[in-house]
Amino acid sequence: MLVWILFLLCQVGAPALAQDLCQRDAPNGYKVRISLKTALGEDAYEWNQSEIFFFRATMAFAMRRHFQIETYNVDNIILCVQTSRVSFWFVVTSPDNATMLIPKAEVEKAVRISRHRINNAFLLSDRTLEFLGIHPTLAVPVNPDTPPWLIVFGVVIGAVCAGIIALLVSSLLQKRRKEKGMTEDGQDEEDMQVKGVENGINLDGTYNRGFTDNDRFTKL
Amino acid sequence: PDRSSIPTPGTSDRHTDCQGCPPDATMGKDAARPEWDNPMQFVLACVSYAVGLGNVWRFPYLCQMHGGGGFLIPYMLMLVLLGVPLFYMELAIGQKMRLGSIGAWRAISPYLGGVGLASVVTSMYLCLYYNVINAWSFWYLFHSFQSVLPWAECPVNSNLTSPVEECERATPTQYFFYRETLDISGSIEENGGIHMGQALCLLLAWIIVYLFIVKGVKSTGKVVYFTATFPYLVLIIYLIRGVTLHGAINGMKYMFTPKMEQLANPTTWINAATQIFFSLGLGFGSLIAFASYNQYNNNFEKQAIIVSMVNSSTSIFASIVTFSIYGFKATFNYESCLERVRLLLLNTFDLAEDTISLENVNHWIAELNRTHPDQFASLGGRLETCDLEAELDTAVEGTGLAFIVYSEAIKNMPVSQLWSVLYFIMLLLLGMGSMLGNVIAVITPLSDLKFISRYMSTKTLNGLVCLFCLLLGLGFTTRSGNYWFTMFNDYGATFSLLFIVLIEVITVCYIYGIKRFEKDVEDMLGHRLNWYWKIMLAGVSPILLIALFIFYIVNYIQGGTPTYQAWNKELVRNLASGKRDQTYWLTDGVTQGRAATLWL
Repeated sequence: MLVWILFLLCQVGAPALAQDLCQRDAPNGYKVRISLKTALGEDAYEWNQSEIFFFRATMAFAMRRHFQIETYNVDNIILCVQTSRVSFWFVVTSPDNATMLIPKAEVEKAVRISRHRINNAFLLSDRTLEFLGIHPTLAVPVNPDTPPWLIVFGVVIGAVCAGIIALLVSSLLQKRRKEKGMTEDGQDEEDMQVKGVENGINLDGTYNRGFTDNDRFTKL
Repeated sequence: PDRSSIPTPGTSDRHTDCQGCPPDATMGKDAARPEWDNPMQFVLACVSYAVGLGNVWRFPYLCQMHGGGGFLIPYMLMLVLLGVPLFYMELAIGQKMRLGSIGAWRAISPYLGGVGLASVVTSMYLCLYYNVINAWSFWYLFHSFQSVLPWAECPVNSNLTSPVEECERATPTQYFFYRETLDISGSIEENGGIHMGQALCLLLAWIIVYLFIVKGVKSTGKVVYFTATFPYLVLIIYLIRGVTLHGAINGMKYMFTPKMEQLANPTTWINAATQIFFSLGLGFGSLIAFASYNQYNNNFEKQAIIVSMVNSSTSIFASIVTFSIYGFKATFNYESCLERVRLLLLNTFDLAEDTISLENVNHWIAELNRTHPDQFASLGGRLETCDLEAELDTAVEGTGLAFIVYSEAIKNMPVSQLWSVLYFIMLLLLGMGSMLGNVIAVITPLSDLKFISRYMSTKTLNGLVCLFCLLLGLGFTTRSGNYWFTMFNDYGATFSLLFIVLIEVITVCYIYGIKRFEKDVEDMLGHRLNWYWKIMLAGVSPILLIALFIFYIVNYIQGGTPTYQAWNKELVRNLASGKRDQTYWLTDGVTQGRAATLWL
């Protein structure tokens, strides 16, 4: 009988005790904020008791992973102050002693190690599943050996220099070819001028250098 | 013989009845003077020169400051009264004298060779620092070839906990411009070293300029086909992209609502006059140099009107694009602000996510203030006020607009790398086109000088000028280079140009004589100057120029000691608690001078 009463008391007392451990601004607790609609939009699932259970199981997993022991269970994770934002506080009790809380620092370490797994379990990210007080580590910046801009720069300056050299060389070659051409058929060119060749048509007559086209001013 | 066999007057035939021309201009030397392949090249060269960065980043600012659509009235009026006649005059002089600015002015009056020399010196100043803008455009262009644009987010600090502090306090785009592009120091005294990336980009810019001018007008003439037309293609693409952006309509509405009361403000008219004046690039000697390569009978009258109209239309077109981008950026910032406020409210009051939406944020603020006043008060300064008008009101001009505001807007567009590449290519072409005019304004008078043309070929002269400008321009790539740039920009050309053009107009109309000028024009074009040109050149334009000149002197004297704005990386400045600051300059006061480059 006494055992039966004690047992009943424990059943009632345990949650009450648990509630004392977990409260808003608990010294060893963390506030979690979940933004389902922001993350998933139309595909957002409903945050219900099963999801809460899943969360507790995930946290227990994280604790197991951190401490490398397999005694942590769903009962060790206590949630409270749940709001419709979907935010809540949680604390972690020790598996050996249900009244003793795991210190904040240990919980943080555990969360950091398994953050990626926790996020993926809920299809969320660092931004939409927030542990207030635990800042996400930023991604390592990718530092390529040669900055990409230098590569583009090299290509462009190479092309431009090639263009300049091509222009200079071609004009040099043209000048040389003209000099050679002048000595060979310089005679022909003068003759063509004298014979009044216009547009390749051979015309009779001589080229009058004194001619100027003034007739728009000359009124008869 | 029938007329077809008689050759039309070409390069070797010249009118011998040219009054007031130096002997050189009519005989012998002419045969050697290179020419544009066709008049279209000349027109495109002038368009490429006149349509520059100023059309994109100065005119929209002026439109915004002086009453949107209403600003067009003083602008068009000044174009007709001041811009077109002076442009016409410079083209006439160049085409008539067929020499660069020094030779041309010396020919007009032997005592006034100094005017030409002043033009050359001013162009030299411009050559030194203008190419630095092209170097910056190259830097941004090359950095656009990355999966994430480097100015889109802040780099993280060394222990990977948070973004770099300087970047946190400013915005990523500002950080990228002032820290990574310029590596700016705290004041003009702290020189620092040369920024290697900038120096390389400046080298590239000068090599490209050399490539464009290496063969004189023969090469320039081909290049301008591209530099004059491609920016329009990009502007059209951007126009289509711009007007389809979310929120663009806010910007356009803002711009086109005319605020007629601004017309009563004299500053509006003065700014319109200076914008027209500097935008057309008068007084640098570039127009004289370009026109000196024309055929003697080229119809420059029609071309002067065409180029001026094209320049002004481009300004208006570019401001439509700019304002649609402004509208997009302002709307984006406004909605981001609303989103932040919404999250803050949701998190503080632990409400379900779908209770507050972007539309009813303000309604909820009032509601929560009423129902939970204590909790609301605890929010304190973290609650921002989001104001679309205030976002649109932030008027920026110059390099701030081009490299900070625009790149901020671009990073938020989808496929931002493509838009970034297109935009900076456009900036480059606009800058390069203007740069061509500047360099040719220096080279043409130099190559006309006999003692230079005897010892050096054009290619060597061009190369030496480019090398000289490159070496001196390296000073602008140092850590304090931006301050030197601002100084040159604000004071290098403004005042002197007004003076030069004033002397030019008075010389041509009163010393050379409007009658002689009339006769020369008739000689070239075949018809007399009509009354519009005569009245404007002899009367209206000089009066307006004198008025501008006096205004500048008065403004300069009243301005006191010139000051500049410096970037102070230690200072934490928030204008209003929680509100994002637009600029992180430590204001010692706004510099009084107005920048000539900003208009070209």
